[in-house]
Amino acid sequence: MSDKGRNDEDDAALRARLESLSRQLAQKKEGASAPPPVGSDLTGGNVGRAMTLGFRVMSEFVAAIIVGVVLGWQFDVWLGTAPALLIVFLALGTAAGFWNVYRIATQPTGPKRAGDNTK
Amino acid sequence: MAAAQGIDPIHQFEVLPLFGGQMGTATFTNASLFMVIVVAAISFLMIVGTSGRALVPGRLQAAAEMAYEFVASTVRGTAGESGMRFFPFVFSLFMFVLFSNLIGLIPYTFTVTSQIIVTFAFAALVIGIVIVYGLYKHGAHFLHLFVPSGVHPVLLPFIVLIEIISFVSRPISLSVRLFANMLAGHITLKVFGGFVAMLLGAGAYSVIAPLPLAATVALTAFELLVAFLQAYVFAILTCVYLNDAIHPGH
Repeated sequence: MSDKGRNDEDDAALRARLESLSRQLAQKKEGASAPPPVGSDLTGGNVGRAMTLGFRVMSEFVAAIIVGVVLGWQFDVWLGTAPALLIVFLALGTAAGFWNVYRIATQPTGPKRAGDNTK
Repeated sequence: MAAAQGIDPIHQFEVLPLFGGQMGTATFTNASLFMVIVVAAISFLMIVGTSGRALVPGRLQAAAEMAYEFVASTVRGTAGESGMRFFPFVFSLFMFVLFSNLIGLIPYTFTVTSQIIVTFAFAALVIGIVIVYGLYKHGAHFLHLFVPSGVHPVLLPFIVLIEIISFVSRPISLSVRLFANMLAGHITLKVFGGFVAMLLGAGAYSVIAPLPLAATVALTAFELLVAFLQAYVFAILTCVYLNDAIHPGH
Protein backbone atom coordinates (compact mmCIF):
# COMPACT_ATOMS: atom_id res chain seq x y z
CA MET A 1 0.00 0.00 0.00
CA SER A 2 2.53 2.51 1.13
CA ASP A 3 4.80 1.39 -1.68
CA LYS A 4 2.18 2.26 -4.28
CA GLY A 5 1.58 5.62 -2.62
CA ARG A 6 5.24 6.45 -2.87
CA ASN A 7 5.21 5.46 -6.54
CA ASP A 8 2.37 7.88 -7.23
CA GLU A 9 4.23 10.59 -5.39
CA ASP A 10 7.34 9.91 -7.45
CA ASP A 11 5.30 9.99 -10.63
CA ALA A 12 3.76 13.33 -9.71
CA ALA A 13 7.15 14.78 -8.85
CA LEU A 14 8.62 13.49 -12.09
CA ARG A 15 5.78 14.89 -14.13
CA ALA A 16 6.13 18.28 -12.46
CA ARG A 17 9.84 18.26 -13.18
CA LEU A 18 9.23 17.27 -16.81
CA GLU A 19 6.74 20.09 -17.23
CA SER A 20 9.06 22.68 -15.76
CA LEU A 21 11.87 21.41 -17.99
CA SER A 22 9.79 21.57 -21.14
CA ARG A 23 8.63 25.06 -20.19
CA GLN A 24 12.25 26.15 -19.82
CA LEU A 25 13.08 24.53 -23.14
CA ALA A 26 10.21 26.32 -24.87
CA GLN A 27 11.34 29.64 -23.38
CA LYS A 28 14.87 29.02 -24.56
CA LYS A 29 13.66 28.14 -28.06
CA GLU A 30 11.55 31.29 -28.19
CA GLY A 31 14.50 33.40 -27.14
CA ALA A 32 16.75 31.80 -29.74
CA SER A 33 14.34 32.15 -32.64
CA ALA A 34 13.49 35.79 -31.89
CA PRO A 35 15.06 38.11 -34.49
CA PRO A 36 18.30 39.75 -33.38
CA PRO A 37 17.67 43.30 -32.18
CA VAL A 38 19.79 45.14 -34.77
CA GLY A 39 19.38 43.01 -37.87
CA SER A 40 21.64 40.27 -39.11
CA ASP A 41 24.33 42.57 -40.55
CA LEU A 42 25.71 43.75 -37.26
CA THR A 43 25.25 40.71 -35.05
CA GLY A 44 26.96 38.22 -37.37
CA GLY A 45 30.09 37.62 -35.34
CA ASN A 46 32.22 35.94 -37.96
CA VAL A 47 34.98 37.64 -39.87
CA GLY A 48 33.41 37.30 -43.31
CA ARG A 49 30.26 39.10 -42.35
CA ALA A 50 32.12 41.80 -40.47
CA MET A 51 34.43 42.35 -43.43
CA THR A 52 31.48 42.51 -45.79
CA LEU A 53 29.91 45.19 -43.64
CA GLY A 54 33.21 47.04 -43.46
CA PHE A 55 33.58 46.93 -47.22
CA ARG A 56 30.04 48.22 -47.58
CA VAL A 57 30.65 51.16 -45.27
CA MET A 58 33.93 52.01 -46.98
CA SER A 59 32.61 51.78 -50.53
CA GLU A 60 29.49 53.84 -49.79
CA PHE A 61 31.56 56.50 -48.07
CA VAL A 62 34.22 56.71 -50.78
CA ALA A 63 31.71 56.53 -53.64
CA ALA A 64 29.77 59.52 -52.32
CA ILE A 65 32.93 61.64 -52.05
CA ILE A 66 34.01 60.65 -55.58
CA VAL A 67 30.60 61.52 -56.97
CA GLY A 68 30.73 64.88 -55.19
CA VAL A 69 34.17 65.68 -56.59
CA VAL A 70 33.28 64.64 -60.15
CA LEU A 71 30.05 66.65 -60.09
CA GLY A 72 31.81 69.74 -58.71
CA TRP A 73 34.64 69.43 -61.21
CA GLN A 74 32.27 69.08 -64.15
CA PHE A 75 30.10 72.01 -63.04
CA ASP A 76 33.28 74.09 -62.70
CA VAL A 77 34.23 73.23 -66.28
CA TRP A 78 30.76 74.12 -67.55
CA LEU A 79 30.27 77.32 -65.58
CA GLY A 80 33.90 78.52 -65.47
CA THR A 81 33.92 79.01 -61.69
CA ALA A 82 37.30 77.38 -61.24
CA PRO A 83 37.67 75.90 -57.77
CA ALA A 84 34.53 77.18 -56.04
CA LEU A 85 32.01 74.50 -56.94
CA LEU A 86 34.59 71.74 -56.56
CA ILE A 87 35.07 72.74 -52.93
CA VAL A 88 31.33 73.05 -52.30
CA PHE A 89 30.56 69.67 -53.87
CA LEU A 90 33.48 68.02 -52.11
CA ALA A 91 31.95 69.11 -48.82
CA LEU A 92 28.48 67.98 -49.94
CA GLY A 93 29.89 64.65 -51.11
CA THR A 94 31.57 64.10 -47.77
CA ALA A 95 28.31 64.90 -46.03
CA ALA A 96 26.52 62.43 -48.33
CA GLY A 97 29.15 59.83 -47.47
CA PHE A 98 28.54 60.28 -43.75
CA TRP A 99 24.81 60.21 -44.45
CA ASN A 100 25.21 56.86 -46.27
CA VAL A 101 27.18 55.40 -43.37
CA TYR A 102 24.64 56.75 -40.89
CA ARG A 103 21.86 55.06 -42.86
CA ILE A 104 23.69 51.73 -42.85
CA ALA A 105 24.17 52.05 -39.09
CA THR A 106 20.59 52.99 -38.25
CA GLN A 107 18.69 50.60 -40.48
CA PRO A 108 20.76 47.57 -41.35
CA THR A 109 19.40 46.00 -44.48
CA GLY A 110 19.06 42.50 -43.15
CA PRO A 111 16.38 40.13 -44.35
CA LYS A 112 14.30 40.71 -41.21
CA ARG A 113 12.92 44.13 -41.99
CA ALA A 114 9.38 43.22 -42.92
CA GLY A 115 7.95 45.69 -40.42
CA ASP A 116 9.34 48.76 -42.18
CA ASN A 117 7.89 47.99 -45.55
CA THR A 118 4.18 48.32 -44.92
CA LYS A 119 4.04 52.05 -45.62
CA MET B 1 63.71 31.63 -62.50
CA ALA B 2 60.93 29.32 -63.57
CA ALA B 3 58.60 30.72 -60.90
CA ALA B 4 58.92 34.24 -62.24
CA GLN B 5 56.23 33.90 -64.89
CA GLY B 6 53.89 32.24 -62.41
CA ILE B 7 53.68 35.20 -60.09
CA ASP B 8 52.23 37.86 -62.35
CA PRO B 9 49.05 38.36 -60.32
CA ILE B 10 47.31 40.55 -62.92
CA HIS B 11 47.71 38.10 -65.78
CA GLN B 12 44.58 36.16 -64.80
CA PHE B 13 42.32 39.16 -65.47
CA GLU B 14 43.44 39.69 -69.05
CA VAL B 15 40.63 39.59 -71.59
CA LEU B 16 41.87 37.85 -74.73
CA PRO B 17 40.20 36.87 -78.00
CA LEU B 18 39.51 33.16 -77.77
CA PHE B 19 39.84 32.20 -81.42
CA GLY B 20 42.75 34.45 -82.32
CA GLY B 21 42.45 37.61 -84.38
CA GLN B 22 42.11 41.20 -83.26
CA MET B 23 39.91 42.56 -80.49
CA GLY B 24 36.79 44.01 -82.06
CA THR B 25 33.43 45.07 -80.67
CA ALA B 26 31.94 41.57 -80.89
CA THR B 27 34.97 39.33 -80.42
CA PHE B 28 34.31 36.12 -78.52
CA THR B 29 36.77 36.40 -75.62
CA ASN B 30 37.57 34.23 -72.62
CA ALA B 31 35.24 36.50 -70.63
CA SER B 32 32.42 35.73 -73.06
CA LEU B 33 33.20 32.02 -72.81
CA PHE B 34 32.88 32.07 -69.03
CA MET B 35 29.66 34.09 -69.19
CA VAL B 36 28.27 31.36 -71.43
CA ILE B 37 29.53 28.70 -69.01
CA VAL B 38 27.91 30.51 -66.06
CA VAL B 39 24.57 30.82 -67.85
CA ALA B 40 24.78 27.17 -68.93
CA ALA B 41 25.52 26.04 -65.35
CA ILE B 42 22.57 28.04 -63.96
CA SER B 43 20.27 26.75 -66.70
CA PHE B 44 21.40 23.21 -65.99
CA LEU B 45 20.73 23.57 -62.26
CA MET B 46 17.31 25.14 -62.68
CA ILE B 47 15.98 23.21 -65.69
CA VAL B 48 17.32 19.76 -64.89
CA GLY B 49 16.81 20.31 -61.15
CA THR B 50 13.14 21.18 -61.47
CA SER B 51 12.27 18.82 -64.32
CA GLY B 52 11.82 15.86 -61.97
CA ARG B 53 9.16 17.61 -59.87
CA ALA B 54 9.59 14.99 -57.20
CA LEU B 55 7.62 15.44 -54.00
CA VAL B 56 10.73 14.40 -52.09
CA PRO B 57 13.48 16.37 -53.87
CA GLY B 58 16.75 14.80 -54.88
CA ARG B 59 20.05 16.59 -54.45
CA LEU B 60 19.84 18.74 -57.57
CA GLN B 61 16.19 19.61 -57.01
CA ALA B 62 16.91 20.47 -53.38
CA ALA B 63 19.68 22.84 -54.51
CA ALA B 64 17.40 24.50 -57.05
CA GLU B 65 14.61 24.85 -54.48
CA MET B 66 16.99 26.23 -51.87
CA ALA B 67 18.22 28.87 -54.31
CA TYR B 68 14.63 29.85 -55.08
CA GLU B 69 13.54 29.93 -51.44
CA PHE B 70 16.61 31.89 -50.39
CA VAL B 71 16.18 34.65 -52.96
CA ALA B 72 12.40 34.72 -52.50
CA SER B 73 12.69 35.24 -48.74
CA THR B 74 15.32 37.92 -49.31
CA VAL B 75 13.07 39.80 -51.73
CA ARG B 76 9.99 39.42 -49.51
CA GLY B 77 11.85 40.49 -46.39
CA THR B 78 13.44 43.57 -47.97
CA ALA B 79 11.01 44.87 -50.58
CA GLY B 80 7.77 43.38 -49.28
CA GLU B 81 5.22 41.28 -51.12
CA SER B 82 4.92 43.86 -53.92
CA GLY B 83 8.65 43.47 -54.54
CA MET B 84 8.03 39.95 -55.76
CA ARG B 85 7.30 41.28 -59.27
CA PHE B 86 11.04 41.93 -59.46
CA PHE B 87 11.84 38.42 -58.29
CA PRO B 88 12.90 37.11 -61.74
CA PHE B 89 15.29 40.03 -62.12
CA VAL B 90 16.83 39.71 -58.66
CA PHE B 91 17.05 35.93 -58.98
CA SER B 92 18.86 36.10 -62.33
CA LEU B 93 21.23 38.74 -61.00
CA PHE B 94 21.98 36.80 -57.82
CA MET B 95 22.53 33.50 -59.60
CA PHE B 96 24.75 35.05 -62.26
CA VAL B 97 26.93 36.84 -59.72
CA LEU B 98 27.07 33.81 -57.42
CA PHE B 99 28.00 31.38 -60.20
CA SER B 100 30.57 33.76 -61.69
CA ASN B 101 32.19 34.13 -58.27
CA LEU B 102 32.16 30.40 -57.56
CA ILE B 103 33.32 29.27 -60.99
CA GLY B 104 36.06 31.90 -60.87
CA LEU B 105 37.50 30.18 -57.78
CA ILE B 106 38.35 27.07 -59.79
CA PRO B 107 41.97 27.30 -60.94
CA TYR B 108 42.59 28.28 -64.59
CA THR B 109 39.15 29.84 -64.91
CA PHE B 110 38.25 33.45 -65.56
CA THR B 111 36.22 35.50 -63.07
CA VAL B 112 33.61 37.49 -64.96
CA THR B 113 32.74 39.63 -61.92
CA SER B 114 36.34 40.78 -61.54
CA GLN B 115 35.81 43.10 -64.53
CA ILE B 116 34.49 46.48 -63.42
CA ILE B 117 32.59 46.95 -66.67
CA VAL B 118 30.51 43.83 -65.97
CA THR B 119 29.63 44.82 -62.40
CA PHE B 120 29.01 48.41 -63.40
CA ALA B 121 26.67 47.29 -66.18
CA PHE B 122 24.69 45.32 -63.57
CA ALA B 123 24.62 48.25 -61.15
CA ALA B 124 23.58 50.67 -63.92
CA LEU B 125 20.82 48.25 -64.91
CA VAL B 126 19.56 48.12 -61.31
CA ILE B 127 19.55 51.90 -60.89
CA GLY B 128 18.02 52.33 -64.35
CA ILE B 129 15.17 50.02 -63.41
CA VAL B 130 14.72 51.86 -60.10
CA ILE B 131 14.45 55.24 -61.85
CA VAL B 132 12.27 54.08 -64.75
CA TYR B 133 9.92 52.02 -62.58
CA GLY B 134 9.73 54.69 -59.88
CA LEU B 135 8.86 57.44 -62.38
CA TYR B 136 6.43 55.16 -64.25
CA LYS B 137 4.65 54.02 -61.11
CA HIS B 138 4.67 57.17 -58.99
CA GLY B 139 5.40 59.99 -61.45
CA ALA B 140 6.68 63.10 -59.76
CA HIS B 141 5.97 61.56 -56.37
CA PHE B 142 9.08 59.43 -56.92
CA LEU B 143 11.15 62.61 -56.55
CA HIS B 144 10.02 62.79 -52.92
CA LEU B 145 12.77 60.24 -52.41
CA PHE B 146 15.14 63.20 -52.50
CA VAL B 147 13.04 65.49 -50.29
CA PRO B 148 12.77 64.15 -46.73
CA SER B 149 9.83 65.52 -44.80
CA GLY B 150 10.21 67.69 -41.73
CA VAL B 151 13.38 69.52 -42.75
CA HIS B 152 13.84 73.23 -42.11
CA PRO B 153 13.38 75.17 -45.41
CA VAL B 154 16.81 76.81 -45.06
CA LEU B 155 18.51 73.41 -44.92
CA LEU B 156 16.35 71.84 -47.62
CA PRO B 157 18.51 72.67 -50.70
CA PHE B 158 21.58 71.16 -49.04
CA ILE B 159 19.69 68.06 -47.94
CA VAL B 160 18.30 67.57 -51.45
CA LEU B 161 21.78 67.93 -52.96
CA ILE B 162 23.19 65.46 -50.44
CA GLU B 163 20.38 63.00 -51.16
CA ILE B 164 21.02 63.30 -54.90
CA ILE B 165 24.76 62.72 -54.47
CA SER B 166 23.98 59.78 -52.21
CA PHE B 167 21.64 58.35 -54.85
CA VAL B 168 24.17 58.82 -57.66
CA SER B 169 26.85 57.13 -55.55
CA ARG B 170 24.77 53.95 -55.28
CA PRO B 171 25.64 52.34 -58.63
CA ILE B 172 29.31 53.21 -58.06
CA SER B 173 29.49 51.67 -54.60
CA LEU B 174 27.43 48.66 -55.73
CA SER B 175 29.71 47.89 -58.67
CA VAL B 176 33.04 48.80 -57.08
CA ARG B 177 32.36 46.65 -54.02
CA LEU B 178 31.77 43.45 -55.99
CA PHE B 179 34.59 44.15 -58.43
CA ALA B 180 37.10 45.09 -55.72
CA ASN B 181 36.31 42.08 -53.57
CA MET B 182 36.76 39.66 -56.44
CA LEU B 183 39.89 41.38 -57.78
CA ALA B 184 41.55 41.66 -54.37
CA GLY B 185 40.70 38.08 -53.44
CA HIS B 186 42.13 36.60 -56.60
CA ILE B 187 45.26 38.75 -56.47
CA THR B 188 45.84 37.72 -52.85
CA LEU B 189 45.46 34.05 -53.73
CA LYS B 190 47.84 34.40 -56.64
CA VAL B 191 50.45 36.29 -54.61
CA PHE B 192 50.41 33.71 -51.81
CA GLY B 193 50.61 30.91 -54.36
CA GLY B 194 53.57 32.73 -55.90
CA PHE B 195 55.28 32.88 -52.47
CA VAL B 196 55.16 29.09 -52.29
CA ALA B 197 56.86 28.74 -55.68
CA MET B 198 59.45 31.43 -54.88
CA LEU B 199 60.32 29.93 -51.47
CA LEU B 200 60.67 26.44 -52.92
CA GLY B 201 63.22 27.82 -55.36
CA ALA B 202 65.16 29.71 -52.65
CA GLY B 203 67.42 26.99 -51.24
CA ALA B 204 67.39 26.76 -47.44
CA TYR B 205 64.35 29.02 -47.14
CA SER B 206 62.23 26.31 -48.71
CA VAL B 207 61.55 24.93 -45.21
CA ILE B 208 59.07 27.77 -44.61
CA ALA B 209 57.31 27.21 -47.93
CA PRO B 210 54.40 25.36 -46.24
CA LEU B 211 53.43 28.58 -44.40
CA PRO B 212 52.11 30.46 -47.47
CA LEU B 213 50.65 27.15 -48.68
CA ALA B 214 48.58 26.92 -45.50
CA ALA B 215 47.58 30.56 -45.94
CA THR B 216 46.46 29.79 -49.49
CA VAL B 217 44.25 26.95 -48.26
CA ALA B 218 42.70 29.19 -45.59
CA LEU B 219 42.26 32.04 -48.08
CA THR B 220 40.52 29.75 -50.57
CA ALA B 221 37.95 28.85 -47.93
CA PHE B 222 37.59 32.52 -47.08
CA GLU B 223 37.17 33.42 -50.75
CA LEU B 224 34.38 30.86 -51.01
CA LEU B 225 32.60 32.69 -48.20
CA VAL B 226 33.28 36.09 -49.81
CA ALA B 227 31.98 34.80 -53.17
CA PHE B 228 28.66 33.89 -51.58
CA LEU B 229 28.43 36.94 -49.32
CA GLN B 230 29.13 39.38 -52.15
CA ALA B 231 26.44 37.82 -54.32
CA TYR B 232 24.07 38.04 -51.35
CA VAL B 233 24.97 41.67 -50.63
CA PHE B 234 24.51 42.53 -54.31
CA ALA B 235 21.06 40.91 -54.32
CA ILE B 236 19.93 42.45 -51.06
CA LEU B 237 21.07 45.96 -52.00
CA THR B 238 19.24 45.54 -55.32
CA CYS B 239 16.13 44.76 -53.27
CA VAL B 240 16.70 47.77 -51.01
CA TYR B 241 17.01 50.09 -54.01
CA LEU B 242 13.99 48.54 -55.71
CA ASN B 243 12.10 49.04 -52.45
CA ASP B 244 12.77 52.77 -52.84
CA ALA B 245 11.17 52.62 -56.28
CA ILE B 246 8.13 50.71 -55.00
CA HIS B 247 7.60 52.80 -51.86
CA PRO B 248 9.28 56.17 -52.45
CA GLY B 249 7.53 57.99 -49.60
CA HIS B 250 9.83 58.44 -46.62
